[in-house]
Amino acid sequence: MKKLIVTRRGLLGATAAATGIAAFNGPWKFNRVYAASSDKPIKLGLTSDASGQYANSGASDRRGMLMAVDEFNAKGGVLGRKIETVHIDTETTPATGSRVAERMISREECGFLIGAVSSGVANAISQVAQKYGTIYLNTNSSSPTESGENCHRVKFVWDGNGTNFAKAAVKNSIDSFGKKWLLLTNDYVWGHNTAAATRELVDEYGGEIIDEILVPQGTRDFSSALLKIQQAGPDVVAAAVGGDDQKALRQQVADLGMGDKPAWINNQQDWPDVYGLPLDNLFGVFGTTWYYKLDLPGVADFVKRYQAAYPDTSMRVPGNVFYNGYMATRELLRAIERTGTTNNIAVIKALEGHKMPAAERMQHHDAVIDPVTHQVQQTIYLATANRGAEDPDDMFKILTSSAPEAVQDMGAQGACKLESYADTPTLDV
Amino acid sequence: MIQLAPHLFNGLTLGLLFALIALGFTLIVGVMEVLNLAHGSLFALGAYIALSMIDPAWAQETALGGWWLGLPITARYGVALAFAPLAVGLAGMLLERCLRPTYDKAPLYGLLLTFGAALVIEELIRLGWGTGEQHLPVPDGINGAFFFGGLIFSKYKIFAAVFALAAIAAVWVFLERTPYGAIIKAGAHDSEMVRALGYDLARLRMFVFGLGAALAGIAGIVMVPIWGLRPHVGIDVVIPAFLIIVLGGVGSFWGAVVASILVGLAVGITGAYASAWSLMSMYLLLIAVVGFRARGLFGRKSALER
Repeated sequence: MKKLIVTRRGLLGATAAATGIAAFNGPWKFNRVYAASSDKPIKLGLTSDASGQYANSGASDRRGMLMAVDEFNAKGGVLGRKIETVHIDTETTPATGSRVAERMISREECGFLIGAVSSGVANAISQVAQKYGTIYLNTNSSSPTESGENCHRVKFVWDGNGTNFAKAAVKNSIDSFGKKWLLLTNDYVWGHNTAAATRELVDEYGGEIIDEILVPQGTRDFSSALLKIQQAGPDVVAAAVGGDDQKALRQQVADLGMGDKPAWINNQQDWPDVYGLPLDNLFGVFGTTWYYKLDLPGVADFVKRYQAAYPDTSMRVPGNVFYNGYMATRELLRAIERTGTTNNIAVIKALEGHKMPAAERMQHHDAVIDPVTHQVQQTIYLATANRGAEDPDDMFKILTSSAPEAVQDMGAQGACKLESYADTPTLDV
Repeated sequence: MIQLAPHLFNGLTLGLLFALIALGFTLIVGVMEVLNLAHGSLFALGAYIALSMIDPAWAQETALGGWWLGLPITARYGVALAFAPLAVGLAGMLLERCLRPTYDKAPLYGLLLTFGAALVIEELIRLGWGTGEQHLPVPDGINGAFFFGGLIFSKYKIFAAVFALAAIAAVWVFLERTPYGAIIKAGAHDSEMVRALGYDLARLRMFVFGLGAALAGIAGIVMVPIWGLRPHVGIDVVIPAFLIIVLGGVGSFWGAVVASILVGLAVGITGAYASAWSLMSMYLLLIAVVGFRARGLFGRKSALER
């Protein structure tokens, strides 16, 4: 057997080589610098659903992101670099979300990921994004866990969450409709967390939860649930049912004429889920973060820009999902401009605590990105069907607007433990 | 304590609706031994064609359209219920023409072709009718609700269940009491002999596929006022239909009907007592039955079992 001899020259050579490699790559978790040059486009990965339960909302979300990108590109891009986008269907499936995120980061070299409607998908994407240090904007999924126990340093949540909407609705509804509440809950992460937030608030304000009916995702026939609701006789049904399930539910409740009694509180109503449906299907009170007929400066111009960008879309006016997709993308690109770099840590710091004036966001109150949870604290609106409107697109009647402080999710603040900057891989595109 | 009777009734109506969904699927599998994965897309196509006939977007711009919209909704709905399935049947026949090269190949080829056809039809629907949620209007007489035993029930759902019963009876009469049905069954049993007797087997297969597609279209028209109408609505159809024919026994008409009712009862009763398990209950039922009887409830014994 040959004896291993370590010479002084060999040792020095090996040390020099190791130092060189380390200098090139850095410590193992801080090692991603794509071959950046000043004219290389900045690539955004759009992780929105194009099939499954949230396909329609995913398309709206994507249109919002693309309009923001087009507007920046029309001005010459960001930091003199064009913005490019890559879209891969996340299929409203968490496992697909993980795969798409991995591929976008490691193969497509996307520097930023944007988009989600399903909270399960958003959570899956954000775990991958955190591993690589890639900033991820959860545009439209609204489970309280997204900015609570599933929060991440790289993730920013742009929609109001279940607790925000419940806070805006529960106290008023107990006073107006009664104390006996029944929860109708989609049996997945968003439904469970939203129902838990509602339950806590109902207890706090002196109401009583008499039952909770869990409905699996993919339910198309709600007749059993609606019979149970009739048999239980609640004053209020608080529904946390989303996507296609919600559309089927709305159709069946309207058909039975159960939309007025009991009272229905639908945690959040995404515009793509109801656009074009008869107003009878739009029963109850529901939350939203934005409406295209808000009487605020900039709204009419925003609608015109949408119509110019998407003249052929069947949805003639933008809704909350489009709005969130647009706002998230715009604020990310602005943050890159402000910092003058695409370094992820610098951009994260620029977004944390960032204040957005009400006028710029076309809402009634100023908004801020909570540095503790990374969720945008914003105005929450309660609305109902706008019966008697002449314009068929004018479907919502806004009832109230709540300031961000009044509806803040304090539970998320306690539950969210962001990774430290040091534990977040650095990345520059 | 929940009263069981309304949930049993609900499960029964749900079962009849499942039978309506599975009818065309089981016919094509039973006669042609082709798993038509485009069944769901044909279901959606039927509903969209009916929508265009009942409430056409172009109608207000022409005199003919204005006259058509002036007709009562009942008349327009009746015409749509009669003619939209015919259009879907023609689409089914076209699909069968495309399937012919796969008949002498492994079943996977037919499976892949119908899967591809499902994607193509769904995309065509998106292009033609848009991606958003739509609403299929129904006549006032079958719309709304009625009270029974202190509870509210949907008139439309009762109509749909009765319609499903009528469709089951009509298909049974066609298969069992007409010479055409006898030829179809004979074709399924011994295609070479049927060909030897001078019947055109290719036309027979095309007709059966067209009939199965038309039944899918009818199911679509009847079901979407309950489920809502969107381009991918057909996705919700294929898995229950497949489960039902396996549970009932592949190729058995009454097996499919009985399996549908059992699935409806399972989903309805589970919905009352353990709602989170309501969809899972149909799969548990399948496991329970197929675990003890691999050929399903009414499936024929294979040569190896005799």
